Amino acid sequence: MKTLILAVAIRIFIPLFVIFSVYILFRGHNHPGGGFIGGLICAIAFIFHIMAHGPKDTAYTFFTIKYFRKAHQTGRSSVSSVLVLVYKNLFRKKELQAAPDWLPRQWRVDPIFIISCGLFLAATSGVFGLFLQQPYMSALWADMYLPVFGKPGTPILFDLGVYLLVLGVVLKITFVMAEE
Amino acid sequence: MLIIILAGLFLAFSAPLLYKWLGKYVYVPMALYPLAAFVYFSSYLTDVLGGQTIFAIHRWAPSLNINLHFYLDGLSLFFVLLVTGFGTLIMTYAGGYLKGDPLLGRFYMYLTLFMVAMTGVVLSGNIFCLFVFWEMTSLSSYLLIGYKHDKAGSRNSALQALLVTGGGGLALMGGLLLLGAVGQTYTISDLLNRGDLVTSHELYLPLMVLILIGAFTKSAQFPFHFWLPNAMAAPTPVSAYLHSATMVKAGIYLLARFTPVLGGTDAWQYTLMAVGGITTLLGALLAMQHTDLKAILAYTTISALGILVTMTGIGSEPALQAMLVFLLAHALYKGTLFLVAGNVDHATGTRELDQLRGLGRSMVPTGVAASLAALSMAGVLPFFGFIGKELLYEAALAATTFKALLFAVSFFSGMVFVAIAIVLGFKLFWQASSRPTPMLHTMSPALYLPPVIISSVGLLFGLFPAALVTPILRRAAEAMLGVEQLFELALWHGFNLVLGISMLTLLLGYGAYRYSNRLHTYAPRLNPLYKLGPQRIYELGLEGLLNGATKLTQKLQNGYLRSYIFIIISTFMVLVVWVLAQTGPVLDLSGRWQEIRNARLYELVLIVLLVPALLFLFRTRSRLTAIAILGMVGYSIALFYILFGAPDVAATQLLIETLTVVIFVLILHKLPEFRFLSSRIQKVKYMIVAGLFGCLMTYVTLLVKQYPLVSGLKAYYGENSYLQGYGRNMVNVILVDFRSLDTLGETTVLAVAAIGIYAMLKLKLDNEH
Repeated sequence: MKTLILAVAIRIFIPLFVIFSVYILFRGHNHPGGGFIGGLICAIAFIFHIMAHGPKDTAYTFFTIKYFRKAHQTGRSSVSSVLVLVYKNLFRKKELQAAPDWLPRQWRVDPIFIISCGLFLAATSGVFGLFLQQPYMSALWADMYLPVFGKPGTPILFDLGVYLLVLGVVLKITFVMAEE
Repeated sequence: MLIIILAGLFLAFSAPLLYKWLGKYVYVPMALYPLAAFVYFSSYLTDVLGGQTIFAIHRWAPSLNINLHFYLDGLSLFFVLLVTGFGTLIMTYAGGYLKGDPLLGRFYMYLTLFMVAMTGVVLSGNIFCLFVFWEMTSLSSYLLIGYKHDKAGSRNSALQALLVTGGGGLALMGGLLLLGAVGQTYTISDLLNRGDLVTSHELYLPLMVLILIGAFTKSAQFPFHFWLPNAMAAPTPVSAYLHSATMVKAGIYLLARFTPVLGGTDAWQYTLMAVGGITTLLGALLAMQHTDLKAILAYTTISALGILVTMTGIGSEPALQAMLVFLLAHALYKGTLFLVAGNVDHATGTRELDQLRGLGRSMVPTGVAASLAALSMAGVLPFFGFIGKELLYEAALAATTFKALLFAVSFFSGMVFVAIAIVLGFKLFWQASSRPTPMLHTMSPALYLPPVIISSVGLLFGLFPAALVTPILRRAAEAMLGVEQLFELALWHGFNLVLGISMLTLLLGYGAYRYSNRLHTYAPRLNPLYKLGPQRIYELGLEGLLNGATKLTQKLQNGYLRSYIFIIISTFMVLVVWVLAQTGPVLDLSGRWQEIRNARLYELVLIVLLVPALLFLFRTRSRLTAIAILGMVGYSIALFYILFGAPDVAATQLLIETLTVVIFVLILHKLPEFRFLSSRIQKVKYMIVAGLFGCLMTYVTLLVKQYPLVSGLKAYYGENSYLQGYGRNMVNVILVDFRSLDTLGETTVLAVAAIGIYAMLKLKLDNEH
């Protein structure tokens, strides 16, 4: 289903959709919104992209992390090599493209990974209460206000987990259905 | 006490890692843990022997009033020392027995888990703890029996043990909950004082039967005994520990623990005496027929468990005292004999009696241990088994009912025990033989030291009963009887009737030993009889269950979405009509007309939008139109939500509708051609069901609206969502804060559903390729 208008429009709309969904997620505590709705909105953006460009294109554009990697050197601790890898990829990407001993790699982020991240976040957000001798899932709140974000607390983490999980579930279903 | 339990759990799960680090020395930390627990609990000895009971309560789920409640009195301490003391030796032994096994780490994990669970069972101070730990023992037993998981026999035996003991566990749960409801407390120490309340209650009989089923399945009583011999598929340390010394005694512990609550009635006494008696006889008879070392030991264990149940059933002071003494004696000698059997198996590669000869010369310490244990089993004078046997006879003779029968049962089993003891302690090892069975390798100290230690403890206890065991047994008996006990154990009672009977047992037992060879030749003739036994019933039941489940699934899950919906809706309707017909509030339609006339314009517009859309849905022959109409219906419902003030729900509904339509469109071109497949009769059937369902839902909605909503929930959340949840959006605060556990459950379901859909579609796609 290649329609030019949708294909061009969705490229512009995806950032808007994503930002709007995050906005909906954080405003959920005081106004209509929340993780579930936010996750759905975010997923809809990508579904439109899948409709316009096909699942392979979507997965390559948005769910593949391209990075450069150097072969592990003996005599160097793995922690430091990971740190170097992260630093170089984040801030010195231009140099790496020219460097011969850094090879390009891809890591495809499967929606299942997003689901598990969401579930993990939602489940662990309740653990903090346990450290303060309170039952599992007791909410903890910081005593301050951030602009946009609101009052930070564990329920926000929980909502973020729901957001990621819903996003992952819808994306997974769509990817599987769109692929052949 | 909590720390001991938690440390055990931690150690259990770190066992595979420890095995990686420590290699064959992994047994050192694993054996040190039970030793530490043994020492720790020994430190309570002075307090408990002084007549105190020790409590420890930790909060677990305070909102449900369920706490981790530990309770240590004489009976618990007796069992806990047995479990941890044995555990130390078994852990050491297992290190030698399974040396070099690649899965040894996992084995230690299961075994330690079991030990923790068993400690938990005997320490539990309330019903919930007891049940949780009880189930943990069943599970770890399953894992241990199925340890050699590449053998089908092991797996089947493990499953059988799990089904039997797990089924018993289910009955036990019912029984315990009833007991808690009847006794109005879930704390065991409170229950102990409410025996009269429980026994006079009308629910006493069902709850007693349920609890007894739990205890009988665990302790392998007739007709549930068949899982125990099969459980011998487990490695020998497991057989010695779980299926002889500790786990099978959990059922006995349960009976002993609840004797003050449930005991004393005719039903209790006669059931226990009958079941225990039959088990004793059956175990003894079957033990005589077998030639496999571990099978013999398993059946004598069943027989001994039968005696313990019988004694608990008699319930008099001497009987319960005899029960405790015999339990300890049995654990000591049977544990040793199992380890000896393991050594023989390990060294020669066979457990068949007729292939084993003259082992004594090549494995002296094992042989000595076997003889010491066998002497105790036979009940020869300076051993602890002798005291146990004497007390058994005394208790049987002092019983008020069925004296002759009880005595006959214990005499017969005693005789069989003597015969078997001669086989195990003398014939295998010391009988002169020209062609001794060849040894595959020599014994390491880890293999022969534990049985030697356990059997010597049996001798020590026999020589100095008053100093070593009487105090703790006295407190244990008090826990069962609830009154101060005079408990005197002595080796020598003088020349009296019981001593004469003991001598007679030994003599007749020797006779039985002489004829045991002939018995073995007769044994196969009884095989047709076993086809009718409980084992066969279990197999038939399992088969029937699987077949029935397959048929039912094929019938209900035939793959047609329409029939699923049909079944779900009709079941729902039947249930609703059933409830409505019973309570039957009458629908009051007066005043409704007024409401309809007051309807707002936008409500009418929505109705005008919905109804024709639905009618059009029936007529359409295009899938795309159908999807579009369904979307329209969905959006209209979202509008309803907005109009009635539920913006959150409306937003979700809108998005879900959008998604549904989009996903449908995405897969539209992959679906087959749109056709009407249902016959006219089917259509009429579905129409009737749909119509009825619509009417019913309307009726229920009208009925619900008839009553004013009395609930403090709305007010509560309205007040507290900002004060406690710091959010003005009540719905969201409920979702992520007040009821976040529910949300977590729902999202988990969502994740599982996604994985399910993925698996289903992927499987289909892969099959097509």
